[in-house]
Amino acid sequence: MILNYIKIAWKVLLRHPFYTFITLFGISLTLTVLMVLTSFLDHLFGTHYPEGKRDRSLYITRMMQMDTTQNGRNMGPVSFNFLRDYAKTLKTPERVGISTMMGFANTYINGKRIKLNTKYTDADFWYVTDFQFLEGKPYNEQNIANGENVVVITDDLRKQYFEDSDGSVVGKYIDIENIKYRVIGVTKGSPATRPYTYSDVYFPYTAPKSNYQSEGLRGMYVGIVLAKDKADIPAIQEEFNSAVSRISLPRTENGFKFHTIKVGANTYLDDFLGNFLQGEETRRTIFFSIIGFIMLMIMGLPAINLVNVNVSRILERASEIGVRKSFGAPSRALLWQFIIENIFITFIGGLVALLLSFLIILLINTSGWIAYADLTINFNVFAVSMGVCLVFGLLSGVLPAMRMSKMKIVDALKA
Amino acid sequence: MIKLQNIEKVYRTSSIETLALNNVNIHIRKGEFVSIMGPSGCGKSTLLNIMGLLDEPSKGTVEIGGKTVDQYHDKALARLRNEKLGFIFQSFHLINDLSVLDNVEIPLLYRSTSARERRELAQQALEKVGLSNRMKHFPKELSGGQKQRVAIARAIVGKPEIILADEPTGNLDSAMGNEILSILQNLNKEGATIVMVTHDESMAKRTHRLIRLFDGTQVTDSILSTNLATGV
Amino acid sequence: MLRHLFKLIWNKKKAHSLLMVEIWASFMVLFGVLSLIVYNVRNYVEPIGFDYEDRWILNLSNNQDTLAVGDKVASIYQRLNQYAEVEEVTRTGSNTPFSMNTMNNSVSYKDAKVLTNFYPVDENYAQTMNLPVTAGRWFNKADAVSKHEAIVINDAAREKLFGAENPIGKLVKRDDKLYWRVVGIVDNFKAKGEFMSDEPGLFTFIKDKNAWEKEFILKVKPGTDANFEAKLVKDIAGMVKDWNVEVTYMTDSRKNQHSLTLVPVVIFLVICSFLLVNVALGLFGILNLNIAKRRDEIGLRRAMGATEKAVTRQFLGEIWVLATISMLLGLLFAVQFPLLNVFDIEGGIYLVAMALAMGVVYLIVTLCAWYPSQQASRIHPAVALHEE
Repeated sequence: MILNYIKIAWKVLLRHPFYTFITLFGISLTLTVLMVLTSFLDHLFGTHYPEGKRDRSLYITRMMQMDTTQNGRNMGPVSFNFLRDYAKTLKTPERVGISTMMGFANTYINGKRIKLNTKYTDADFWYVTDFQFLEGKPYNEQNIANGENVVVITDDLRKQYFEDSDGSVVGKYIDIENIKYRVIGVTKGSPATRPYTYSDVYFPYTAPKSNYQSEGLRGMYVGIVLAKDKADIPAIQEEFNSAVSRISLPRTENGFKFHTIKVGANTYLDDFLGNFLQGEETRRTIFFSIIGFIMLMIMGLPAINLVNVNVSRILERASEIGVRKSFGAPSRALLWQFIIENIFITFIGGLVALLLSFLIILLINTSGWIAYADLTINFNVFAVSMGVCLVFGLLSGVLPAMRMSKMKIVDALKA
Repeated sequence: MIKLQNIEKVYRTSSIETLALNNVNIHIRKGEFVSIMGPSGCGKSTLLNIMGLLDEPSKGTVEIGGKTVDQYHDKALARLRNEKLGFIFQSFHLINDLSVLDNVEIPLLYRSTSARERRELAQQALEKVGLSNRMKHFPKELSGGQKQRVAIARAIVGKPEIILADEPTGNLDSAMGNEILSILQNLNKEGATIVMVTHDESMAKRTHRLIRLFDGTQVTDSILSTNLATGV
Repeated sequence: MLRHLFKLIWNKKKAHSLLMVEIWASFMVLFGVLSLIVYNVRNYVEPIGFDYEDRWILNLSNNQDTLAVGDKVASIYQRLNQYAEVEEVTRTGSNTPFSMNTMNNSVSYKDAKVLTNFYPVDENYAQTMNLPVTAGRWFNKADAVSKHEAIVINDAAREKLFGAENPIGKLVKRDDKLYWRVVGIVDNFKAKGEFMSDEPGLFTFIKDKNAWEKEFILKVKPGTDANFEAKLVKDIAGMVKDWNVEVTYMTDSRKNQHSLTLVPVVIFLVICSFLLVNVALGLFGILNLNIAKRRDEIGLRRAMGATEKAVTRQFLGEIWVLATISMLLGLLFAVQFPLLNVFDIEGGIYLVAMALAMGVVYLIVTLCAWYPSQQASRIHPAVALHEE
């Protein structure tokens, strides 16, 4: 029976190539946008190299200090000391890695300038992340304690700086701002969209210019807290909050006196959203409702279009319906025929969209628009798309089909 | 009023040529009520379409109101249809999405008539067919006879000299058919020239003149009554 | 005739509702994207106000070294002036042109209170950036000791603070304790690049021994390359051990700022075009089907004396009326943006975007209806009315 329906559907599609094209175009377009979008969101928020343990990591990235008497506030990353005293001491987590937010430096070689993103980290940083070492290894506690000038560089920087060296570059020196550092490891780089791990050069935090000695709570550092298990996350957050609540207030830092502080260990998504949601509540709602509205428009428009075309087309085929009905086809059978026909075309559209998304994602990955971009069509994205695919098929199939099945035979035949 | 000379009409498809009309000569005088009869497919409707300038003959000349229309282009033809001719169809052809009044106004839309004048003329036409109480209704809410009366009102609203009716009673029962025919007879008495295609002998008998067609050829042309409203 | 069209559409409002929603949604999407584009184009045509070619930014940070920072910065300044490759040097705050840093706060004059960008600069800034002073004067050394600190404002700030008044010599209030004296006016200053709107801004004067502002802008000779840059960084880094010394080219930062603006615009534009192509195709299909459904009516109208042109006009007219109704609905939504001032954008931009969006929608519906309407007018009345 189903096979028969599909056969009919296929014939109907071929009979009206123009309308089939319109329908396919709409479906593929919508799904492509949706799939590229989800793929990009997955790239931003999902668990990927080198943050392969992101799903059980918490991020301590910013502290807000508030002066309640004058409504002044001061916000930014925290200090190394703060993380050492209040994060590293936590009992529940497996390990806590510390690194700086992004820094910049230039290095010059053969009359060429290489712009570098820099990061100072502790040894645990390499534990909480999944960096893949192509050569050498990360620095350890010993290197750090000795205050050695060693660095880990990315494969990209290796190519730029040590252009023609075929052998291992471990043990060679790189000159960054007049200081020679010994390369201890070469790692596969991280995409720039992962700011807590992205860098070109990684220094031990005891290297010059790391500012890890800064007094006070605010500084240049962020912490990645790795839980033993996802389920431990609430417990860690609670432990961290209670540790922070023991900080004696008010304090004065850089001439700014504050009475309350706000700092949290958040999952990556919460942490990311926190960047944008500092404003007042109303502004935030307006902002998000507008974004939601735009998304609804972009997704809704092809859907309306599809329903519209389908509605018009069903009337075009009214006489066919009339004939079928007059020969005794029950309304329900006709309804099924149209629904299956729509699902069928939606799946073809989904397939086209899959292909298109694959091409676009390939383009994004290879264009260098985002270095080390690793967008993929993974199972999640595909499942979401197929779900949406079905909803679309039913939406544009059921509504016109309902109208059609209500039609009187006489009217249908006459049309 | 209408003069057809040596009319020939050939329908061509890629494989077949069909001769729908063959050397037809008809002269219809002002004030006549003419019926055209013949078996289905004999070319009655084609003949009426040619008289109504809805279709062009393959050969021959058509004269309406003393003017030959061979050389007329779309604009002039449209104008002629609008001012001189009124149409009534078997299946009414009312626009379902417009009210009765709006349907009747349609011919006036294509000439420069003010909205008020349109309304008044349409109301007058509806009164004439006895439907002034149905002006705000939609075609779906009317019976077949009522629909045809609306169509007649629409045909006469522009005060045309000629009314062309293509089986106006074909979709109606005999009581309603008689009613429609009486209206047409009254219009004829008021001076309108009427040409009616019908396959109902009793209807045809009530007109002045009967033209019979067979296979695209005119077979008889008989005067049934000379009692014209206004002679020529 | 127009009334007739309205009646036709009104009586078929149920069947048309989906079509109207579609046109309405297209209008809203277009309105959004066009607002974005109009906003940026309008900003772009405003001159940026200064030069950025061959300007380098030297960025210093003293890290843990807190010893006599002001003196060290002063000696670096002297050293920079000695290079043959460097034509001009000026010292500024960290919010150099095209940088990601912003410093703003509100200042007031009489009743006018304006959120203004602050740019800490010194006496060489106007010369180095080729920023013309239109009234009054730029800073000089003597400003360091004046009773009220001197400031130079840009024209946008002048207009918002002073209106028709002449601002030269007037005092601008920062807070209860701090007043600044306006000594000069510059024209446009769009520090974040061409796509920034010309926001109010004011320049404050950096005093000599100040330890905070550690950025320098160098105007280098055209053609100066990375070799000199390397030498420069090496020299300066040698003077201040443990400091970070970083050079960026203003042209590079400008490109970054531009992509920040252009990338979302391009993404929206691409998505919007695809949506509109989609809608246009759909509309075309629907209109084609509608006309096939209305052959009877077309034949009838032709029989009643409608010319070919009149039929074409009717079908185009119908879709225009439909589009107009849908867009009037859309305008109800769209006017909320300037009324509620959601995005802090000038109302005029929305009006232009509305007009443009309407124009584009009319264009699309006309293009989509043109061919079907032509087809409709060619329908032969005899064929259209043909009885079964």
